[in-house]
Amino acid sequence: MITHLSSEQVAEYIVGYPSPIVAEHLRDCPACRAEVVNFREALGDFRWAIRSWSEEQASEYQTNAAPVMPAPVPDPRWWTPSHQFAGALLVAAICIIASFVVPRHPEKVLSSDAVLLSQVDAQVSRTVPSSMEPLMKLVVQK
Amino acid sequence: MQLSATSGLEKDILRSAGPDVTIFAGDFEALVRLYRPKVFRFALASLGDVDAAETVTQDCFLRAHQARETFRQDCGMHTWLMQITVNLIRDHIRNRRFQFWRRLNRTARGLDVAGRAIADRSRSPEMQALMNERVAAIWTAAERLPAKQRTVFLLRFVEDMDLLEIAAATGMKEGTVKSHLFRALRTVRERLGEKI
Repeated sequence: MITHLSSEQVAEYIVGYPSPIVAEHLRDCPACRAEVVNFREALGDFRWAIRSWSEEQASEYQTNAAPVMPAPVPDPRWWTPSHQFAGALLVAAICIIASFVVPRHPEKVLSSDAVLLSQVDAQVSRTVPSSMEPLMKLVVQK
Repeated sequence: MQLSATSGLEKDILRSAGPDVTIFAGDFEALVRLYRPKVFRFALASLGDVDAAETVTQDCFLRAHQARETFRQDCGMHTWLMQITVNLIRDHIRNRRFQFWRRLNRTARGLDVAGRAIADRSRSPEMQALMNERVAAIWTAAERLPAKQRTVFLLRFVEDMDLLEIAAATGMKEGTVKSHLFRALRTVRERLGEKI
C-alpha cells in the first residue's frame, strides 16, 4: 500500500522547506506531484485574483474620490501697487468726509456750549420746580 | 493590469536613491507611490472592505511619517510598513462595528474576488469555472482562519514575503510563523477538498 504525503508534508513543500523524504516521494509519486502542483496553481490563482481585485478597487476608489475643483486661493501677494493706490484713495475719501463732519468754527461751538451750560445751571439751582414758582411767590408775599 | 510594474519601479528607486532611509528622508511622496499599492492590497485582502483598506493605508503612511525618525534599517522599508499595517488591521478587526459589516458582506466579497479571476485569463469555460471555484474556496477558507494564521497566510501567498520578513512584520519568531503557515495551509487545503 502506497502512503501519500500528509497535509503537513504538502505544506512543507508549498512553503518551500521540503525535507529530503518529501522531495524523494514527490519524484516517485505522480498522484502527490499532481496534487502539489494543483494546490500551488490554486494559490497562484488566488494571488492573481487578489492583486487584480486590489488594483481594480484602488482605481475605482481613486475615480470616486476624484478631486473637486479647489476653491480659489487668495493671492498671497495682495499688497500690489493697485492695492496701494486703492488704499490711498480710501484715506483721501475719509479725509474729505471728515472735513465736512468736523465743525469749521470751533469758537461758535464753544459759545453755544456756554449758553447751554448756563441754562442747565439755572434749572439746577432753582429751589422749586418752575411749575410751582407762582405759588412760592404768593407764600413769600404773605 | 500592471501586476509587476511596482517591482521595477522599486528597483529603480532603490538603485538611484541608495538605502531606504535616504528615500524616506528625501522624498516621502516617492515612498508612498512605491509602497501604497502593496499596503492597500494587503489591507484589502485582510479586511475585505475597500473603505476600511483605504483608511488603514492612509493611517499607515501617516504613522510612518510621524515615526520616520525612529525607523531603523534592521528591517526593510516594506517590512516596516507591513508591520505598521498588521497592527492597524488588528486594531480595526477588534472594532465591533467592523465585525458586524464583515459578517454581513462575507459572501459577496468571496464572489467578487472570484469574479476577478474569471475575467482576465484565457482559459476554457470549464477551467475558468474551476478556477473561480478554487479562488472562492481559498478566499472563504482564508477569511475563516484565525487572525494570526490569516495574516501569515496573506503575507506569504499574496505579498510573497519570506518567513524572516513575515516574522519581522508580525513580531513572531520564525518557527511560530512557520507553524501558523503550516496550519493555515492545512486548513485551506482541506477546505479546497476535491477542487484541487
